Amino acid sequence: MCHSRKSGNPEKRNWIPHQVRNDRQKIIMEKILLKNIENPDSADINEYINVGGYKNLSKAFEYQPKDVIEEVKKSGLRGRGGAGFPTGMKWSFADADPKFPKYLVCNADEGEPGTFKDRPILEKNPHLLIEGLIISGYAIRAEYGYIYLRGEYPYAKEVLNRAIRQAYEKNYLGDNVLGKNIKFHLAVYQGAGAYICGEETALIESLEGKKGQPRIKPPFPVNVGAWGMPTIVNNVETLSNVPYIIEAGAVAYSQIGSKDCPGPKLYCISGCVEKPGVYELPMGISLRNIIYTHAGGIKDGKKLKAVIPGGISTSVLPADKIDCPMDFVSMPKHGSMLGSGAVIVMDESVCMVKVTYRALKFFEHESCGKCVPCREGTEWLRKILERIEQGMGREGDIELLSDVSETISGRTFCPLGDGAAGVVIGMLKHFRHEFEEHIKNAKCIFS
Amino acid sequence: MITININEKEIRLDKPVTVLEAARTAGIKIPTLCAHELLEAYGGCRLCVVEVERMLKLQTACTLIAADGMVIRTKSEAISNARRSILEFLLINHPLDCPVCDKAGECELQDLVNKYGATAGRFKEEKRKVPESHEDRIFTRNMERCVLCTRCVRMCNDVQGASAINIVGRGGRSRMEPFSPTSFNCEYCGNCLTVCPVGAILSRPHLHSLRPWQIDKEVETICPYCGVGCSFVVQVRDESIKRVIPRFGFGLNNGLLCSRGRFGYEVTGSQERIKVPLVRIDGKLHQSTWDYALNLIADKLKDIRDTHGGSAIAGIASPRCTNEDNYVFQKFMRMACKTNNIDSISRIGFASAQRYFEDLLGQGITANIILGLKNSDIILVLGGDPTAVNPILGLSIRAAARNGTKIAVIGNAKGLERFKTLRIVPDIFKEAEVLEYLLTEIFRAKGLRGEKPALDRKIEGLSGKSLKIDIAGLAELKDVLLSGGSVSIVLGMDVVHRSRGHRILFAVAGITYLLEARLYLLSESSNEQGLIDMGCVPDMLPGGRPLVVGDFKKRFETVWKGTIPEKGGLTLMEIIEATKDKKIKVLYVMGENPVFNLPNTSYVKEALKSLDFLVVQDIFLTETAELADVVLPASGWSEKDGTYTNLERRIQLLRKAVNTPSSADDWRTISEISSKMGYEMHYPRAEDIMEEIATVSPLYKDLTYDEIEKGNCLWPYNGEPLRGVVSEIPAAEETFREYKEGLYLAPEKILFHSGTLSRRALALRKICPEPTLKIGTNHAEKLGLKEGDNVSVSTAQGSINVQVSIDTAIKDNKVLLGNNFEGRGVFSLLNYEIDPITKVPGIEGCEVTIEKI
Repeated sequence: MCHSRKSGNPEKRNWIPHQVRNDRQKIIMEKILLKNIENPDSADINEYINVGGYKNLSKAFEYQPKDVIEEVKKSGLRGRGGAGFPTGMKWSFADADPKFPKYLVCNADEGEPGTFKDRPILEKNPHLLIEGLIISGYAIRAEYGYIYLRGEYPYAKEVLNRAIRQAYEKNYLGDNVLGKNIKFHLAVYQGAGAYICGEETALIESLEGKKGQPRIKPPFPVNVGAWGMPTIVNNVETLSNVPYIIEAGAVAYSQIGSKDCPGPKLYCISGCVEKPGVYELPMGISLRNIIYTHAGGIKDGKKLKAVIPGGISTSVLPADKIDCPMDFVSMPKHGSMLGSGAVIVMDESVCMVKVTYRALKFFEHESCGKCVPCREGTEWLRKILERIEQGMGREGDIELLSDVSETISGRTFCPLGDGAAGVVIGMLKHFRHEFEEHIKNAKCIFS
Repeated sequence: MITININEKEIRLDKPVTVLEAARTAGIKIPTLCAHELLEAYGGCRLCVVEVERMLKLQTACTLIAADGMVIRTKSEAISNARRSILEFLLINHPLDCPVCDKAGECELQDLVNKYGATAGRFKEEKRKVPESHEDRIFTRNMERCVLCTRCVRMCNDVQGASAINIVGRGGRSRMEPFSPTSFNCEYCGNCLTVCPVGAILSRPHLHSLRPWQIDKEVETICPYCGVGCSFVVQVRDESIKRVIPRFGFGLNNGLLCSRGRFGYEVTGSQERIKVPLVRIDGKLHQSTWDYALNLIADKLKDIRDTHGGSAIAGIASPRCTNEDNYVFQKFMRMACKTNNIDSISRIGFASAQRYFEDLLGQGITANIILGLKNSDIILVLGGDPTAVNPILGLSIRAAARNGTKIAVIGNAKGLERFKTLRIVPDIFKEAEVLEYLLTEIFRAKGLRGEKPALDRKIEGLSGKSLKIDIAGLAELKDVLLSGGSVSIVLGMDVVHRSRGHRILFAVAGITYLLEARLYLLSESSNEQGLIDMGCVPDMLPGGRPLVVGDFKKRFETVWKGTIPEKGGLTLMEIIEATKDKKIKVLYVMGENPVFNLPNTSYVKEALKSLDFLVVQDIFLTETAELADVVLPASGWSEKDGTYTNLERRIQLLRKAVNTPSSADDWRTISEISSKMGYEMHYPRAEDIMEEIATVSPLYKDLTYDEIEKGNCLWPYNGEPLRGVVSEIPAAEETFREYKEGLYLAPEKILFHSGTLSRRALALRKICPEPTLKIGTNHAEKLGLKEGDNVSVSTAQGSINVQVSIDTAIKDNKVLLGNNFEGRGVFSLLNYEIDPITKVPGIEGCEVTIEKI
């Protein structure tokens, strides 16, 4: 496969070299995922075509499906949902399964607190996702695709449905895509508001019309997925990377960002910063850079206290631990995870007990109820935390919190419980004194 | 071959199974809560954690598939800690109301905490509160006790196929709830009760009645309701049945029961039981003594036999009585009363069909293993709803459907609506044509088998007939039947009790023959097959030996020490008609209620009234017993030892569970009368009767109770042919009935009741308290009927008032009514015409008018 680039100009790009920079240099890169979103009509198919959209589709069709998978493998693309599993490898598993039909499901159920990175794609650049879906569907020989959209995104649903209708009109979707005798149909399925349905097997259960609860793995969805058939579940952002990989070629793509997990990444910053929002930056940029250079630093000149770097399920980092490259491989070495790339910034005025309590309230509410440690443990933790925050903490509560979360950790059916326990464990590790003071003073020290 | 190591013990496995299963087969115990042998793995409780070498986290044994070389430990400090903490989690919101919980003593959570749990909890917060639900008539739901193992939901959905309940809500707010707003509106199989590990779902009939450890005894016995013959354990205290529970890995039902089996046990404990013999004096029944009653019967029978001959006497046996009862009954009729006028209610369906198929296709043709249904590629269902008539057999069909077996339904089978591949609904009077068409098409596609010349000739003959049939789905049905793979045919009795039912039976026999299909006959009563085997038919001696073959007759006469009358007897409806004509003067009815269970009630009643003498042996004062001259109390199903032979010809032991001093075994009563009449019969125990059966009946040759107790006493019979080969298939003149647009009344076998027996079971009456007339949506609309409307149902025979229930599964112009409730049985509205070949009273095509009141 040839890797000549047909659009864009590499010289103009400001690549992040493979060594991680901890400086405050502002990175300006050509937008790949958020291309053209300043255009108010960017969601319209014609606007998308005007900036070169759907061109990669016919290019992809020139290759054999297996070659597309190879290309994605070579690009080093990792799933952007949070686990960072190599996308090409996932595809080849589904491809190797002899069962047909195969299904392609786009996970647009972004529900991790702090995460809103897929929303600009869904609402502003839906055709990029659709193009990615069609190419991916072609690669794994799936004839049906679903976008599992989170229930709280009604506007995105409208946009997506309009975009799908337009794509059908232009023959990018249908029984005979672009007259190439390739079949691909796409539909939006809206979830009913359960966080757990972001987990791929729970998502499939929900897609099948059942209660959203994770399934036993193995078998993995790549072999036994929706309606028992091989199913690929990919995140919105992951699939949106695919057209560019076809356009620029795997080698060029793999030059962007970190060596082990290349590509552009959408970071969404919220909390106590001057300029919260979604930033498209090369993978591996440092957390400090994101906060201080791109998001404008801490709001109102206050002091940074802590950062949750990848959505609420990832461990909290104290202010002095933010010189870490934000990618899937580096973050675990620095005591947290990249997760969805949702950076939650907390300044000195934030009560960490309250944050923990609020997080556990979320996990308790979202625990699906299938396994005992998560169902009962999150509730227990929340009840203790609620007491401490309300000034009714007791001697031994901190030990109990720590013990209960250690008990949940590693024993739940799916990672939801681990995430909940991880919040408490992380908070106790770095901010134990705040908990102690709450109990000692019998009130919240920040209120 | 996979070799794994659990606790230093090497285990070899033929196929990859879960670590839990591997450990269990090796006798290593791993505690579980959500896992259940009948259900798919769930992985929710996290109790079965084990350590696996080279795996970081603890693994759940129920979901982990054993791989070659795995080294597993089931005991360690870490595992104990994990289990202890899981149990602590389970208890934080558990109400700990063991002192008032019925489950205490047999609660899995209680046992687990006792063995693996911590001594004290650390949870100091407020517990979740959920009010107990008593909205259902049969089940209470206590969702505070629920551990959300979802065994009930998986049982209901994946095994029972009723899909009536699910978990609603999320996290700690999860609750098991039925889909209908208040009551369960389900099949009331109660299999959710069996699998619930805690006291979250409890049976109201049993609620607060006693503790598991207060049971006096547990008796393993057989369900008395249908022809499947499920095994279960009866728990008895103070000579009364407290509860019926199934056991996993025991009996052909393997732990499953239906509503009748589980909740119908109260019948024999009913207060309405007859306790002493009743004798009619001056037109009224009066209490009497056994001596007086038995002498009266013996004298009367002797008198009639000696003055009018045995042909003036007739007997009706019972498919609910044991083999031993029925054997003694027919021996008594033949040897003491000198008559072959013996038949039973089974004539209306099972006995006639079974005989017809065996004559054409060979003995044992209907002896097929119920569990084998699961292995069929295609199952053809006609003549009734297997999930209602024989619910546990129905579950096998549902399981097959889940595994991809094609289910083809002809007619109405509501319980298979969600499981069927296709369904055709022939017009009334057209079933025979449809089946003959299918037979002809199969013959054209596959040709003849050449094994049975008479059958081959007739099939060929049929194909000459030109058939004009236009029914939606018929072509697909034909294609399915011809698509290859093993075929099973499940035949309900609704297509047997037809005035030309033999045509349908022939077509089914032909299809069975050409497709080499397995044939299953649905059987409404527990011992219909046994009844035939015991010779309670007018033309066959025990063991299926034809009366007309002198050699066979002689063999029996040698053992029985006497002569058997030469003349073949009358069949059921012929007996009734002969009674009306005064040709039969005495009728002896054992455990049957012909007035209620036969068509044209008023005619039957009149016939019985014209008898010189009517003896009824029963446990209740039935409609028939009310007309009797002498009524003798009998013993119910739970009060006697004996054997039942089920529809797959499996012989099973019925064991005495309770002592009821006022009851008397049917065989004992009859042998006493016989002895008084001069034909001595002495059997100290039921077992001794089986000893005699085993010597005279080739089917039960050398069988002993010990042998039966070991299980698996079933066909095949290996010996000389029981009967000769049919050389000519009897035919009768065809009649054609004009099809009208109106409504036709047909009997329905409902899931919650079984004949008239179950109407004394309080729990079943709670589930289904009233008869309902089932009508299809179209016709209900036409008549302006709504669910629950009261209507009068009238035919030429009479009129009754019932409630309407709209059934979306009924697509034709039939209306269905059961035959279970006093004064409102469907048979009272039906007339009959005897099929000349099978002698079955045909009761189809009864035009009916329905008026709203």
